[in-house]
Amino acid sequence: MRPEPADEGQNSRRAVSAGAGVVSELGRRRFTEMVLPHLDDAYGLARWLTGNRADAEDIVQDACMRALASLETATIQQPRAWLLTIVRNTAFTWLAKNRPKTVLLTDDEQVLEVAAAKLASASPNPEEALITAADQAALKSAIEALPHLFREVIVMRDINGLSYREIAAAISAPQGTVMSRLARARALLIDGLGSRN
Amino acid sequence: MRELQSDDRTLLLHAALDGELDAVGMIEIEAELAADPALAAKYAGLVELRDAMRTCVPREVAPDALRARVISMARTSGAASPTVPVPRRARWRDAPYRSLAASLMIGVVLGAGAYGRFGAPPAEDDVQQAIVAGFIRGRLSGQPVDVVTSDRHTVKPWLAGKISGATTVVDLASDGFPLVGGRIDVIGKAPVATLVYQRREHQIALSELPTSAGVTISEPTRQSRNGYSLLRWADRGRPYEAVSDLPPAELDAFGAAFRRAAAAESEGPNLQ
Repeated sequence: MRPEPADEGQNSRRAVSAGAGVVSELGRRRFTEMVLPHLDDAYGLARWLTGNRADAEDIVQDACMRALASLETATIQQPRAWLLTIVRNTAFTWLAKNRPKTVLLTDDEQVLEVAAAKLASASPNPEEALITAADQAALKSAIEALPHLFREVIVMRDINGLSYREIAAAISAPQGTVMSRLARARALLIDGLGSRN
Repeated sequence: MRELQSDDRTLLLHAALDGELDAVGMIEIEAELAADPALAAKYAGLVELRDAMRTCVPREVAPDALRARVISMARTSGAASPTVPVPRRARWRDAPYRSLAASLMIGVVLGAGAYGRFGAPPAEDDVQQAIVAGFIRGRLSGQPVDVVTSDRHTVKPWLAGKISGATTVVDLASDGFPLVGGRIDVIGKAPVATLVYQRREHQIALSELPTSAGVTISEPTRQSRNGYSLLRWADRGRPYEAVSDLPPAELDAFGAAFRRAAAAESEGPNLQ
């Protein structure tokens, strides 16, 4: 069948300029139907994962090229989750290469918990903190401070509005993992915002 | 144990917040919230956070320049194709008389071909072509099956209502080929039962052909067509044709597993 798209470690700009090869009319039509409608979500996720616009644009463009290359052979039941999977993988590859110290990619929930514990404040009653008092900047920086694997689920759920099922598909994990990461992400945000007040 | 229960309850609280609980779950959690002020306070905190996320953190919008680049990328990567056919109709309009002569010739040739074949069972080549086309269409549409089920006892009666004769449906999940469902393909003029099995990201479509469809080989024979692997065999006079985007060796393994399971089923029908 068709070879895999760009090399995992490949620089995103170079991958984009290499082009996606031959794409049929059908592939392009599917691209219009399945990829373009979710470009905002793709960009939003890339933006939250990288923390800046220029890198997010590179990642989305690279991800779209990969999507284009695999459109004709992939079975796509949830186009948005499918596209976000590609964006996420592209983003994590990019992060691992360009900012290896910021990103922690592991399926070991215990390791994640240790990373999260470093963030958590000592606030005794975090639930009582008034989040309504938190301004936009505080909330944004609290989200940006979350470990990537927690950040992506809360961005997909609360900002992009994906269902648990879609998120599970996008991150290739069981729904139980989605739920526990989401709960943890929210607890960390509430803690983080509470400690500011 | 208590710890675990409390964790589970926390997850349910989040699921309630996200509208992911069914009605029964919602009733349970509402009763707990009413009875437990601490839990209710926690829930209120989660609602506040969610509302703050909604109002303070806007959804990102992809910049227009990015959108334009992505669209042009999709367009140009297709234009690089050397095989884009020039629409025939446009060319013919330039030379109407020649086109008339040409279309008459084509008509004569096609007509003769169709006449010669009319009424005859489709040739093996046509069967394969139809099967591969059905497979590609299923992959592209994302709807490879008409009935979605991993339970063979659901597929079998569904197929029985559409075609004459019983279709062999076996469970190959333990061999690593879970059943996705079934569909009806039309090959030649006959409706044909096609089962779809899954292997990782790949699928296998297995069609059980009518006996007259021109496939007579009983030992598994593998071929490839348009980059897809095909495997054909016959069991007790019924020809089977499998097509997949799997590596050929794995399609062989699928064929072996199916034949083994089908043989086991026909030997012990009382156990089913």
